[in-house]
Amino acid sequence: MKRVFSLAASYTVLIVWAFIVIAPLFWLITTSFKDKLDVYLGPKFIPWVDFIPTSRWWIRIFTVEKDSLLKPYANSLIIGLTSAFLSTFLGLMAAYALSRFRFRFGFMKNEDILFWIVSQRIMPPIIVVFAIFIMYQALGLLDTHVGLILIYTVFNLPLAVWILSNFLGQIPPSIEEAALVDGASPTTILFRIVIPMLLPSLTATFLLCFVFSWNEFLFALILTYSRTQTMPILIASQHFQRGPQWWDISALATLAVLPPVVITIVLQRYFIRGLIPVGK
Amino acid sequence: MSNLGQREKRLLISPTVILLLFFTLFPFVFTLALVFGKVSFIGGKIAIQFAGVSNWVRLLHDQRFWNAVLVTLKIVGIAITAEYCIGLVLALLLYKKPLGCGFFRVLYVVPMLLTPIAVGYTWRMIFDVGRGPITGILQRVGVKPIGWLVDPHISLYSIIITDIWQWTPFMFLLLYAGLEAIPKDYLEAADVDGATAWRKFVYVIMPLLAPPSIAALLLRSVECFKIVDIIYIMTGGGPGQATESLTLFGYNVGFRAFDLAYGATIAFSLFFMVLIATMFFTMLTKSLRAIRLE
Repeated sequence: MKRVFSLAASYTVLIVWAFIVIAPLFWLITTSFKDKLDVYLGPKFIPWVDFIPTSRWWIRIFTVEKDSLLKPYANSLIIGLTSAFLSTFLGLMAAYALSRFRFRFGFMKNEDILFWIVSQRIMPPIIVVFAIFIMYQALGLLDTHVGLILIYTVFNLPLAVWILSNFLGQIPPSIEEAALVDGASPTTILFRIVIPMLLPSLTATFLLCFVFSWNEFLFALILTYSRTQTMPILIASQHFQRGPQWWDISALATLAVLPPVVITIVLQRYFIRGLIPVGK
Repeated sequence: MSNLGQREKRLLISPTVILLLFFTLFPFVFTLALVFGKVSFIGGKIAIQFAGVSNWVRLLHDQRFWNAVLVTLKIVGIAITAEYCIGLVLALLLYKKPLGCGFFRVLYVVPMLLTPIAVGYTWRMIFDVGRGPITGILQRVGVKPIGWLVDPHISLYSIIITDIWQWTPFMFLLLYAGLEAIPKDYLEAADVDGATAWRKFVYVIMPLLAPPSIAALLLRSVECFKIVDIIYIMTGGGPGQATESLTLFGYNVGFRAFDLAYGATIAFSLFFMVLIATMFFTMLTKSLRAIRLE
Protein backbone atom coordinates (compact mmCIF):
# COMPACT_ATOMS: atom_id res chain seq x y z
CA MET A 1 0.00 0.00 0.00
CA LYS A 2 2.76 2.38 0.99
CA ARG A 3 4.67 1.42 -2.15
CA VAL A 4 1.70 2.16 -4.36
CA PHE A 5 1.25 5.51 -2.68
CA SER A 6 4.88 6.54 -3.11
CA LEU A 7 4.84 5.41 -6.73
CA ALA A 8 1.71 7.47 -7.39
CA ALA A 9 3.28 10.47 -5.67
CA SER A 10 6.47 10.27 -7.70
CA TYR A 11 4.58 9.91 -10.98
CA THR A 12 2.45 12.91 -10.06
CA VAL A 13 5.58 15.02 -9.59
CA LEU A 14 7.18 13.72 -12.78
CA ILE A 15 4.06 14.37 -14.83
CA VAL A 16 3.47 17.82 -13.34
CA TRP A 17 7.02 18.87 -14.24
CA ALA A 18 6.64 17.33 -17.70
CA PHE A 19 3.52 19.47 -18.11
CA ILE A 20 5.41 22.57 -16.95
CA VAL A 21 8.13 21.88 -19.52
CA ILE A 22 5.73 21.23 -22.37
CA ALA A 23 3.07 23.92 -21.74
CA PRO A 24 5.13 27.01 -22.77
CA LEU A 25 6.37 25.23 -25.89
CA PHE A 26 2.81 24.19 -26.71
CA TRP A 27 1.73 27.81 -26.31
CA LEU A 28 4.56 29.06 -28.52
CA ILE A 29 3.84 26.62 -31.33
CA THR A 30 0.05 26.95 -31.25
CA THR A 31 0.27 30.74 -31.20
CA SER A 32 2.12 30.66 -34.50
CA PHE A 33 -0.97 28.94 -35.98
CA LYS A 34 -3.54 31.37 -34.53
CA ASP A 35 -5.44 33.99 -36.45
CA LYS A 36 -5.27 37.61 -35.31
CA LEU A 37 -8.61 37.50 -33.52
CA ASP A 38 -7.72 34.30 -31.68
CA VAL A 39 -4.76 36.14 -30.23
CA TYR A 40 -6.53 39.43 -29.51
CA LEU A 41 -9.68 37.98 -27.94
CA GLY A 42 -8.03 36.47 -24.92
CA PRO A 43 -6.30 33.16 -24.48
CA LYS A 44 -7.27 30.27 -26.75
CA PHE A 45 -5.79 26.93 -25.87
CA ILE A 46 -6.82 23.84 -27.79
CA PRO A 47 -6.56 23.75 -31.58
CA TRP A 48 -9.79 22.86 -33.43
CA VAL A 49 -11.73 23.32 -30.17
CA ASP A 50 -10.89 26.84 -29.03
CA PHE A 51 -9.66 28.10 -32.37
CA ILE A 52 -9.18 26.96 -35.97
CA PRO A 53 -5.45 26.75 -36.78
CA THR A 54 -4.20 28.63 -39.78
CA SER A 55 -0.88 28.20 -41.52
CA ARG A 56 -1.17 31.68 -43.02
CA TRP A 57 1.71 33.19 -41.03
CA TRP A 58 4.00 30.30 -41.76
CA ILE A 59 3.33 30.65 -45.46
CA ARG A 60 3.87 34.39 -45.21
CA ILE A 61 7.26 34.23 -43.53
CA PHE A 62 8.46 31.81 -46.19
CA THR A 63 7.13 33.91 -49.07
CA VAL A 64 6.48 37.63 -48.59
CA GLU A 65 8.83 38.08 -45.67
CA LYS A 66 11.36 35.59 -46.94
CA ASP A 67 14.23 38.06 -47.20
CA SER A 68 13.98 39.47 -43.72
CA LEU A 69 13.89 35.97 -42.22
CA LEU A 70 16.26 33.98 -44.38
CA LYS A 71 19.22 36.29 -43.97
CA PRO A 72 19.36 36.12 -40.16
CA TYR A 73 18.73 32.38 -40.30
CA ALA A 74 21.60 31.96 -42.76
CA ASN A 75 23.78 34.26 -40.65
CA SER A 76 23.09 32.23 -37.52
CA LEU A 77 23.87 29.01 -39.37
CA ILE A 78 27.08 30.28 -40.99
CA ILE A 79 28.38 31.87 -37.81
CA GLY A 80 27.32 28.97 -35.58
CA LEU A 81 28.71 26.20 -37.79
CA THR A 82 32.01 27.94 -38.54
CA SER A 83 32.73 28.96 -34.97
CA ALA A 84 31.68 25.52 -33.64
CA PHE A 85 34.06 23.88 -36.09
CA LEU A 86 36.91 26.22 -35.12
CA SER A 87 36.30 25.78 -31.38
CA THR A 88 36.20 22.01 -31.70
CA PHE A 89 39.28 21.88 -33.91
CA LEU A 90 41.41 24.26 -31.85
CA GLY A 91 40.03 22.75 -28.66
CA LEU A 92 41.08 19.28 -29.80
CA MET A 93 44.60 20.50 -30.57
CA ALA A 94 44.98 22.14 -27.19
CA ALA A 95 43.32 19.33 -25.23
CA TYR A 96 45.44 16.73 -27.00
CA ALA A 97 48.65 18.63 -26.34
CA LEU A 98 47.75 19.16 -22.69
CA SER A 99 46.85 15.53 -22.07
CA ARG A 100 49.84 13.98 -23.86
CA PHE A 101 52.80 16.34 -23.45
CA ARG A 102 54.38 18.23 -20.59
CA PHE A 103 54.38 22.01 -20.78
CA ARG A 104 55.92 24.74 -18.71
CA PHE A 105 55.10 28.39 -19.27
CA GLY A 106 56.91 30.15 -16.47
CA PHE A 107 55.40 28.81 -13.27
CA MET A 108 52.43 27.28 -15.11
CA LYS A 109 52.32 23.53 -15.63
CA ASN A 110 49.74 21.51 -17.57
CA GLU A 111 47.01 21.61 -14.93
CA ASP A 112 47.50 25.35 -14.44
CA ILE A 113 47.25 25.99 -18.17
CA LEU A 114 44.10 23.88 -18.40
CA PHE A 115 42.61 25.67 -15.41
CA TRP A 116 43.47 29.05 -16.92
CA ILE A 117 41.83 28.13 -20.25
CA VAL A 118 38.69 26.74 -18.62
CA SER A 119 38.38 29.63 -16.16
CA GLN A 120 38.03 32.07 -19.08
CA ARG A 121 34.47 30.80 -19.37
CA ILE A 122 33.67 32.45 -16.04
CA MET A 123 34.34 35.95 -17.37
CA PRO A 124 31.05 37.80 -17.89
CA PRO A 125 30.84 38.93 -21.55
CA ILE A 126 29.80 42.45 -20.56
CA ILE A 127 33.29 43.08 -19.16
CA VAL A 128 35.16 42.37 -22.37
CA VAL A 129 32.51 43.65 -24.76
CA PHE A 130 33.43 47.33 -24.29
CA ALA A 131 37.01 46.71 -25.33
CA ILE A 132 36.01 44.35 -28.12
CA PHE A 133 33.56 46.92 -29.46
CA ILE A 134 36.30 49.57 -29.67
CA MET A 135 38.78 47.04 -31.05
CA TYR A 136 36.32 45.87 -33.73
CA GLN A 137 35.54 49.43 -34.66
CA ALA A 138 39.22 50.10 -35.23
CA LEU A 139 39.69 46.87 -37.21
CA GLY A 140 36.47 47.25 -39.23
CA LEU A 141 35.07 44.03 -37.79
CA LEU A 142 31.77 45.45 -36.54
CA ASP A 143 28.76 43.90 -38.27
CA THR A 144 30.84 41.25 -40.06
CA HIS A 145 30.63 37.46 -40.01
CA VAL A 146 34.31 37.20 -39.18
CA GLY A 147 33.87 39.36 -36.10
CA LEU A 148 31.13 37.23 -34.61
CA ILE A 149 32.77 33.96 -35.63
CA LEU A 150 35.95 35.01 -33.84
CA ILE A 151 34.26 36.03 -30.63
CA TYR A 152 32.06 32.92 -30.50
CA THR A 153 35.02 30.67 -31.22
CA VAL A 154 36.92 32.21 -28.35
CA PHE A 155 34.02 32.01 -25.92
CA ASN A 156 33.35 28.34 -26.73
CA LEU A 157 37.02 27.32 -26.67
CA PRO A 158 37.22 26.81 -22.88
CA LEU A 159 34.20 24.53 -23.03
CA ALA A 160 35.63 22.54 -25.95
CA VAL A 161 39.02 22.15 -24.26
CA TRP A 162 37.37 21.07 -21.02
CA ILE A 163 35.06 18.43 -22.53
CA LEU A 164 37.69 17.05 -24.90
CA SER A 165 40.46 16.84 -22.33
CA ASN A 166 38.12 14.92 -20.04
CA PHE A 167 37.47 12.42 -22.82
CA LEU A 168 41.12 12.25 -23.81
CA GLY A 169 41.94 11.48 -20.20
CA GLN A 170 39.83 8.35 -20.49
CA ILE A 171 41.75 7.04 -23.49
CA PRO A 172 44.97 5.31 -22.43
CA PRO A 173 48.02 6.75 -24.21
CA SER A 174 49.36 3.20 -24.57
CA ILE A 175 47.39 2.71 -27.81
CA GLU A 176 49.10 5.70 -29.36
CA GLU A 177 52.48 4.60 -28.01
CA ALA A 178 52.01 1.19 -29.60
CA ALA A 179 51.28 2.84 -32.95
CA LEU A 180 54.37 4.96 -32.51
CA VAL A 181 56.50 1.87 -31.94
CA ASP A 182 55.04 0.43 -35.15
CA GLY A 183 56.40 3.47 -36.94
CA ALA A 184 53.26 5.61 -37.37
CA SER A 185 53.84 9.34 -37.72
CA PRO A 186 52.22 11.77 -35.26
CA THR A 187 49.86 12.95 -38.02
CA THR A 188 48.80 9.38 -38.73
CA ILE A 189 48.24 8.78 -35.05
CA LEU A 190 46.08 11.87 -34.75
CA PHE A 191 43.92 11.19 -37.81
CA ARG A 192 43.82 7.39 -37.78
CA ILE A 193 43.66 6.68 -34.05
CA VAL A 194 42.80 9.65 -31.85
CA ILE A 195 40.11 11.33 -33.96
CA PRO A 196 38.18 8.11 -34.74
CA MET A 197 38.17 7.18 -31.06
CA LEU A 198 37.06 10.66 -30.08
CA LEU A 199 34.46 11.02 -32.83
CA PRO A 200 31.38 10.80 -30.57
CA SER A 201 32.76 13.38 -28.13
CA LEU A 202 33.92 15.60 -30.97
CA THR A 203 30.39 15.52 -32.36
CA ALA A 204 28.96 16.34 -28.96
CA THR A 205 31.40 19.22 -28.48
CA PHE A 206 30.65 20.56 -31.94
CA LEU A 207 26.88 20.48 -31.41
CA LEU A 208 27.12 22.08 -27.99
CA CYS A 209 29.35 24.89 -29.29
CA PHE A 210 26.92 25.36 -32.16
CA VAL A 211 23.95 25.70 -29.81
CA PHE A 212 25.76 28.24 -27.65
CA SER A 213 26.65 30.35 -30.70
CA TRP A 214 23.14 29.98 -32.06
CA ASN A 215 21.61 31.19 -28.79
CA GLU A 216 24.06 33.98 -27.97
CA PHE A 217 22.53 37.40 -27.55
CA LEU A 218 24.68 40.10 -25.95
CA PHE A 219 27.66 40.03 -28.34
CA ALA A 220 25.35 39.85 -31.34
CA LEU A 221 23.34 42.77 -30.00
CA ILE A 222 26.39 45.00 -29.59
CA LEU A 223 28.64 43.85 -32.43
CA THR A 224 26.12 43.62 -35.28
CA TYR A 225 23.74 46.08 -36.92
CA SER A 226 21.77 44.81 -39.88
CA ARG A 227 24.01 42.87 -42.25
CA THR A 228 24.97 40.09 -39.85
CA GLN A 229 21.91 40.13 -37.64
CA THR A 230 21.37 36.71 -36.03
CA MET A 231 18.12 34.96 -35.10
CA PRO A 232 17.94 36.12 -31.46
CA ILE A 233 18.45 39.72 -32.58
CA LEU A 234 15.80 39.33 -35.28
CA ILE A 235 13.27 38.09 -32.71
CA ALA A 236 14.08 40.90 -30.29
CA SER A 237 13.88 43.62 -32.93
CA GLN A 238 10.67 42.23 -34.46
CA HIS A 239 9.18 42.12 -31.00
CA PHE A 240 9.95 45.77 -30.36
CA GLN A 241 8.77 46.82 -33.83
CA ARG A 242 5.56 44.83 -34.04
CA GLY A 243 4.46 44.74 -30.42
CA PRO A 244 1.43 42.50 -30.05
CA GLN A 245 1.68 40.64 -33.37
CA TRP A 246 2.31 37.39 -31.54
CA TRP A 247 1.66 35.05 -34.47
CA ASP A 248 4.61 36.18 -36.61
CA ILE A 249 7.13 36.29 -33.81
CA SER A 250 5.93 32.95 -32.46
CA ALA A 251 6.67 31.41 -35.84
CA LEU A 252 10.14 33.00 -35.81
CA ALA A 253 10.78 31.82 -32.27
CA THR A 254 9.65 28.30 -33.16
CA LEU A 255 12.12 28.30 -36.03
CA ALA A 256 14.81 29.57 -33.68
CA VAL A 257 14.33 26.82 -31.09
CA LEU A 258 14.06 24.06 -33.69
CA PRO A 259 17.81 23.32 -34.10
CA PRO A 260 18.48 23.25 -30.32
CA VAL A 261 15.56 20.86 -29.75
CA VAL A 262 16.79 18.47 -32.42
CA ILE A 263 20.33 18.70 -31.08
CA THR A 264 19.20 18.05 -27.49
CA ILE A 265 17.52 14.85 -28.60
CA VAL A 266 20.65 13.83 -30.50
CA LEU A 267 22.93 14.75 -27.62
CA GLN A 268 20.97 13.26 -24.74
CA ARG A 269 22.93 9.99 -24.97
CA TYR A 270 26.14 11.86 -24.22
CA PHE A 271 24.74 14.09 -21.51
CA ILE A 272 24.72 11.49 -18.79
CA ARG A 273 27.72 9.58 -19.96
CA GLY A 274 30.45 12.06 -19.39
CA LEU A 275 29.67 15.14 -21.44
CA ILE A 276 29.49 16.95 -18.16
CA PRO A 277 32.01 15.25 -15.91
CA VAL A 278 30.93 15.50 -12.33
CA GLY A 279 32.84 15.51 -9.11
CA LYS A 280 36.18 16.51 -10.47
CA MET B 1 55.32 10.56 -28.04
CA SER B 2 58.63 12.22 -27.53
CA ASN B 3 59.67 12.43 -31.19
CA LEU B 4 57.58 15.57 -31.51
CA GLY B 5 59.75 18.61 -31.09
CA GLN B 6 59.03 21.20 -28.44
CA ARG B 7 58.03 23.60 -31.20
CA GLU B 8 55.39 21.25 -32.64
CA LYS B 9 53.97 20.68 -29.20
CA ARG B 10 53.66 24.39 -28.62
CA LEU B 11 52.14 24.81 -32.06
CA LEU B 12 49.22 22.63 -30.97
CA ILE B 13 48.37 24.73 -27.96
CA SER B 14 49.36 28.20 -29.09
CA PRO B 15 46.28 29.09 -31.20
CA THR B 16 44.05 28.59 -28.17
CA VAL B 17 46.34 30.49 -25.84
CA ILE B 18 46.84 33.37 -28.27
CA LEU B 19 43.13 33.70 -29.06
CA LEU B 20 42.21 33.68 -25.39
CA LEU B 21 44.90 36.21 -24.53
CA PHE B 22 43.81 38.45 -27.37
CA PHE B 23 40.09 38.27 -26.68
CA THR B 24 39.90 38.03 -22.91
CA LEU B 25 43.10 39.17 -21.24
CA PHE B 26 43.73 42.12 -23.54
CA PRO B 27 40.12 43.41 -23.35
CA PHE B 28 40.23 42.86 -19.61
CA VAL B 29 43.26 45.14 -19.31
CA PHE B 30 41.62 47.60 -21.66
CA THR B 31 38.49 47.63 -19.52
CA LEU B 32 40.70 48.26 -16.53
CA ALA B 33 41.95 51.39 -18.31
CA LEU B 34 38.39 52.47 -19.07
CA VAL B 35 37.41 52.03 -15.45
CA PHE B 36 39.93 54.64 -14.34
CA GLY B 37 39.46 56.86 -17.35
CA LYS B 38 37.25 59.21 -19.26
CA VAL B 39 36.42 58.50 -22.88
CA SER B 40 36.03 61.24 -25.40
CA PHE B 41 35.47 61.06 -29.13
CA ILE B 42 37.51 63.59 -31.02
CA GLY B 43 37.08 63.55 -34.79
CA GLY B 44 35.90 59.94 -34.81
CA LYS B 45 38.87 58.82 -32.75
CA ILE B 46 38.63 57.51 -29.26
CA ALA B 47 40.73 59.14 -26.58
CA ILE B 48 41.00 57.91 -23.02
CA GLN B 49 42.10 60.32 -20.33
CA PHE B 50 43.01 59.33 -16.82
CA ALA B 51 40.21 60.22 -14.43
CA GLY B 52 41.28 58.58 -11.19
CA VAL B 53 38.59 56.93 -9.14
CA SER B 54 35.83 59.28 -10.27
CA ASN B 55 33.89 56.45 -11.97
CA TRP B 56 33.99 54.44 -8.77
CA VAL B 57 32.84 57.34 -6.62
CA ARG B 58 29.97 57.88 -9.00
CA LEU B 59 29.16 54.15 -8.91
CA LEU B 60 29.04 53.95 -5.14
CA HIS B 61 26.66 56.92 -4.98
CA ASP B 62 24.44 55.62 -7.76
CA GLN B 63 21.04 54.45 -6.54
CA ARG B 64 20.47 52.69 -9.83
CA PHE B 65 23.66 50.67 -9.38
CA TRP B 66 22.68 49.38 -5.94
CA ASN B 67 19.26 48.54 -7.34
CA ALA B 68 20.89 46.49 -10.12
CA VAL B 69 23.10 44.73 -7.56
CA LEU B 70 20.05 43.82 -5.50
CA VAL B 71 18.08 42.68 -8.55
CA THR B 72 20.97 40.48 -9.70
CA LEU B 73 21.54 38.99 -6.23
CA LYS B 74 17.83 38.28 -5.81
CA ILE B 75 17.62 36.52 -9.16
CA VAL B 76 20.74 34.47 -8.45
CA GLY B 77 19.73 33.63 -4.88
CA ILE B 78 16.12 32.64 -5.48
CA ALA B 79 16.47 31.06 -8.92
CA ILE B 80 19.52 28.96 -8.02
CA THR B 81 17.94 27.67 -4.80
CA ALA B 82 14.72 26.71 -6.56
CA GLU B 83 16.56 25.16 -9.51
CA TYR B 84 18.70 23.08 -7.17
CA CYS B 85 15.75 21.81 -5.13
CA ILE B 86 13.57 20.96 -8.12
CA GLY B 87 16.51 19.46 -9.99
CA LEU B 88 17.38 17.30 -6.98
CA VAL B 89 13.82 16.01 -6.57
CA LEU B 90 13.55 15.17 -10.27
CA ALA B 91 16.96 13.48 -10.30
CA LEU B 92 16.10 11.39 -7.22
CA LEU B 93 12.76 10.33 -8.72
CA LEU B 94 14.32 9.32 -12.03
CA TYR B 95 17.28 7.67 -10.33
CA LYS B 96 14.95 4.84 -9.28
CA LYS B 97 14.45 4.19 -13.00
CA PRO B 98 10.66 4.23 -13.12
CA LEU B 99 8.80 3.29 -16.28
CA GLY B 100 9.22 6.04 -18.87
CA CYS B 101 12.48 7.24 -17.31
CA GLY B 102 14.14 7.73 -20.68
CA PHE B 103 11.31 9.89 -21.98
CA PHE B 104 11.24 12.14 -18.89
CA ARG B 105 15.01 12.48 -18.93
CA VAL B 106 15.14 13.77 -22.50
CA LEU B 107 12.13 16.02 -21.98
CA TYR B 108 13.52 17.55 -18.79
CA VAL B 109 16.76 18.54 -20.52
CA VAL B 110 15.12 20.30 -23.48
CA PRO B 111 14.56 23.83 -22.04
CA MET B 112 18.26 24.22 -21.22
CA LEU B 113 19.44 24.46 -24.80
CA LEU B 114 16.60 26.60 -26.18
CA THR B 115 17.39 30.10 -27.40
CA PRO B 116 16.90 32.32 -24.32
CA ILE B 117 15.40 35.13 -26.40
CA ALA B 118 12.74 32.75 -27.75
CA VAL B 119 12.12 31.40 -24.23
CA GLY B 120 11.80 34.94 -22.88
CA TYR B 121 9.39 35.83 -25.66
CA THR B 122 7.26 32.76 -24.94
CA TRP B 123 7.03 33.61 -21.25
CA ARG B 124 6.28 37.20 -22.10
CA MET B 125 3.20 35.99 -23.95
CA ILE B 126 2.30 33.62 -21.11
CA PHE B 127 2.50 36.42 -18.53
CA ASP B 128 0.57 38.90 -20.68
CA VAL B 129 -2.35 40.34 -18.74
CA GLY B 130 -4.88 40.82 -21.55
CA ARG B 131 -4.30 37.80 -23.76
CA GLY B 132 -2.02 35.50 -21.79
CA PRO B 133 -3.03 32.00 -20.71
CA ILE B 134 -2.24 32.39 -17.00
CA THR B 135 -4.48 35.40 -16.53
CA GLY B 136 -7.13 33.68 -18.64
CA ILE B 137 -7.15 30.59 -16.45
CA LEU B 138 -7.02 32.56 -13.21
CA GLN B 139 -9.92 34.74 -14.33
CA ARG B 140 -12.05 31.68 -15.02
CA VAL B 141 -11.60 30.58 -11.43
CA GLY B 142 -12.27 34.13 -10.24
CA VAL B 143 -8.81 35.41 -9.37
CA LYS B 144 -8.14 39.06 -10.15
CA PRO B 145 -5.54 39.67 -12.90
CA ILE B 146 -1.99 39.92 -11.65
CA GLY B 147 0.38 42.32 -13.40
CA TRP B 148 3.07 39.67 -13.92
CA LEU B 149 5.31 41.93 -15.97
CA VAL B 150 3.91 45.39 -15.28
CA ASP B 151 3.73 45.35 -11.48
CA PRO B 152 7.15 46.42 -10.12
CA HIS B 153 6.69 44.17 -7.08
CA ILE B 154 6.00 41.08 -9.16
CA SER B 155 7.92 41.45 -12.43
CA LEU B 156 11.19 40.27 -10.88
CA TYR B 157 9.55 37.02 -9.82
CA SER B 158 8.21 36.48 -13.33
CA ILE B 159 11.78 36.75 -14.59
CA ILE B 160 12.90 34.30 -11.90
CA ILE B 161 10.16 31.82 -12.88
CA THR B 162 11.36 31.96 -16.47
CA ASP B 163 14.96 31.40 -15.39
CA ILE B 164 13.88 28.43 -13.25
CA TRP B 165 12.00 26.96 -16.19
CA GLN B 166 14.99 27.24 -18.47
CA TRP B 167 17.80 26.24 -16.10
CA THR B 168 16.40 23.60 -13.73
CA PRO B 169 17.43 21.10 -16.46
CA PHE B 170 21.07 21.98 -15.87
CA MET B 171 20.88 21.18 -12.17
CA PHE B 172 18.86 18.06 -12.92
CA LEU B 173 21.44 16.85 -15.41
CA LEU B 174 24.44 17.34 -13.15
CA LEU B 175 22.73 15.88 -10.10
CA TYR B 176 21.42 12.91 -12.08
CA ALA B 177 24.92 12.22 -13.38
CA GLY B 178 26.19 12.57 -9.80
CA LEU B 179 23.64 10.02 -8.58
CA GLU B 180 24.57 7.62 -11.36
CA ALA B 181 28.19 7.83 -10.20
CA ILE B 182 27.34 6.60 -6.67
CA PRO B 183 28.49 2.98 -6.32
CA LYS B 184 25.45 0.72 -6.05
CA ASP B 185 26.94 -1.38 -3.22
CA TYR B 186 26.89 1.64 -0.86
CA LEU B 187 23.12 1.76 -1.13
CA GLU B 188 22.81 -2.01 -0.97
CA ALA B 189 24.90 -2.04 2.20
CA ALA B 190 22.55 0.55 3.68
CA ASP B 191 19.59 -1.63 2.69
CA VAL B 192 21.14 -4.64 4.40
CA ASP B 193 21.55 -2.55 7.55
CA GLY B 194 17.84 -1.76 7.34
CA ALA B 195 18.18 1.95 6.69
CA THR B 196 14.99 3.87 5.88
CA ALA B 197 14.76 5.81 2.64
CA TRP B 198 15.18 9.09 4.53
CA ARG B 199 18.29 7.91 6.40
CA LYS B 200 19.76 6.58 3.17
CA PHE B 201 19.19 9.99 1.62
CA VAL B 202 20.75 11.94 4.49
CA TYR B 203 23.69 9.68 5.35
CA VAL B 204 24.58 8.01 2.07
CA ILE B 205 23.30 9.95 -0.92
CA MET B 206 23.73 13.57 0.19
CA PRO B 207 27.36 13.32 1.34
CA LEU B 208 28.29 11.63 -1.93
CA LEU B 209 26.28 14.16 -3.88
CA ALA B 210 27.95 17.15 -2.24
CA PRO B 211 30.85 17.59 -4.70
CA PRO B 212 28.67 17.50 -7.84
CA SER B 213 26.17 19.74 -6.05
CA ILE B 214 28.80 22.38 -5.41
CA ALA B 215 30.05 22.11 -8.99
CA ALA B 216 26.49 22.55 -10.29
CA LEU B 217 25.80 25.49 -7.99
CA LEU B 218 29.07 27.17 -8.96
CA LEU B 219 28.61 26.77 -12.71
CA ARG B 220 24.98 27.82 -12.59
CA SER B 221 25.46 30.87 -10.38
CA VAL B 222 28.38 32.11 -12.47
CA GLU B 223 26.09 31.94 -15.51
CA CYS B 224 23.14 33.42 -13.66
CA PHE B 225 25.11 36.52 -12.60
CA LYS B 226 25.37 37.36 -16.31
CA ILE B 227 21.61 37.23 -16.87
CA VAL B 228 20.44 39.66 -19.54
CA ASP B 229 18.62 38.16 -22.54
CA ILE B 230 15.35 37.04 -20.96
CA ILE B 231 15.13 40.33 -19.06
CA TYR B 232 15.85 42.31 -22.21
CA ILE B 233 12.91 40.75 -24.06
CA MET B 234 10.46 40.26 -21.17
CA THR B 235 10.58 43.61 -19.39
CA GLY B 236 13.51 45.56 -20.80
CA GLY B 237 14.55 46.05 -17.18
CA GLY B 238 11.25 47.61 -16.19
CA PRO B 239 8.82 48.64 -14.98
CA GLY B 240 11.11 51.49 -14.00
CA GLN B 241 14.29 49.67 -13.04
CA ALA B 242 12.55 46.86 -11.17
CA THR B 243 14.21 44.10 -13.18
CA GLU B 244 17.41 45.77 -14.38
CA SER B 245 20.29 43.33 -13.83
CA LEU B 246 23.93 44.45 -13.72
CA THR B 247 24.66 43.31 -17.26
CA LEU B 248 21.58 45.11 -18.59
CA PHE B 249 22.49 48.24 -16.59
CA GLY B 250 26.03 48.11 -17.99
CA TYR B 251 24.65 47.70 -21.50
CA ASN B 252 22.17 50.56 -21.10
CA VAL B 253 24.82 52.93 -19.78
CA GLY B 254 27.59 51.83 -22.13
CA PHE B 255 25.76 51.39 -25.40
CA ARG B 256 22.52 53.34 -25.07
CA ALA B 257 23.79 56.40 -23.19
CA PHE B 258 27.19 55.65 -24.76
CA ASP B 259 29.10 56.30 -21.55
CA LEU B 260 31.72 53.61 -22.13
CA ALA B 261 33.84 54.36 -19.09
CA TYR B 262 30.99 54.21 -16.62
CA GLY B 263 29.51 51.15 -18.35
CA ALA B 264 32.85 49.41 -17.98
CA THR B 265 32.93 50.31 -14.29
CA ILE B 266 29.54 48.67 -13.82
CA ALA B 267 30.75 45.60 -15.71
CA PHE B 268 33.81 45.45 -13.51
CA SER B 269 31.73 45.39 -10.36
CA LEU B 270 29.96 42.34 -11.82
CA PHE B 271 33.36 40.72 -12.28
CA PHE B 272 34.06 41.16 -8.56
CA MET B 273 30.77 39.54 -7.66
CA VAL B 274 31.42 36.56 -9.92
CA LEU B 275 34.93 36.29 -8.48
CA ILE B 276 33.62 36.25 -4.91
CA ALA B 277 31.02 33.60 -5.78
CA THR B 278 33.68 31.46 -7.45
CA MET B 279 36.04 31.77 -4.48
CA PHE B 280 33.22 30.91 -2.09
CA PHE B 281 32.35 27.68 -3.89
CA THR B 282 36.01 26.76 -4.38
CA MET B 283 36.61 27.17 -0.66
CA LEU B 284 33.54 25.08 0.05
CA THR B 285 34.94 22.28 -2.10
CA LYS B 286 38.30 22.50 -0.33
CA SER B 287 36.81 22.41 3.16
CA LEU B 288 34.63 19.50 2.09
CA ARG B 289 37.72 17.61 0.99
CA ALA B 290 39.40 18.42 4.29
CA ILE B 291 36.44 16.94 6.18
CA ARG B 292 36.63 13.82 4.02
CA LEU B 293 40.30 13.30 4.72
CA GLU B 294 39.94 13.46 8.47
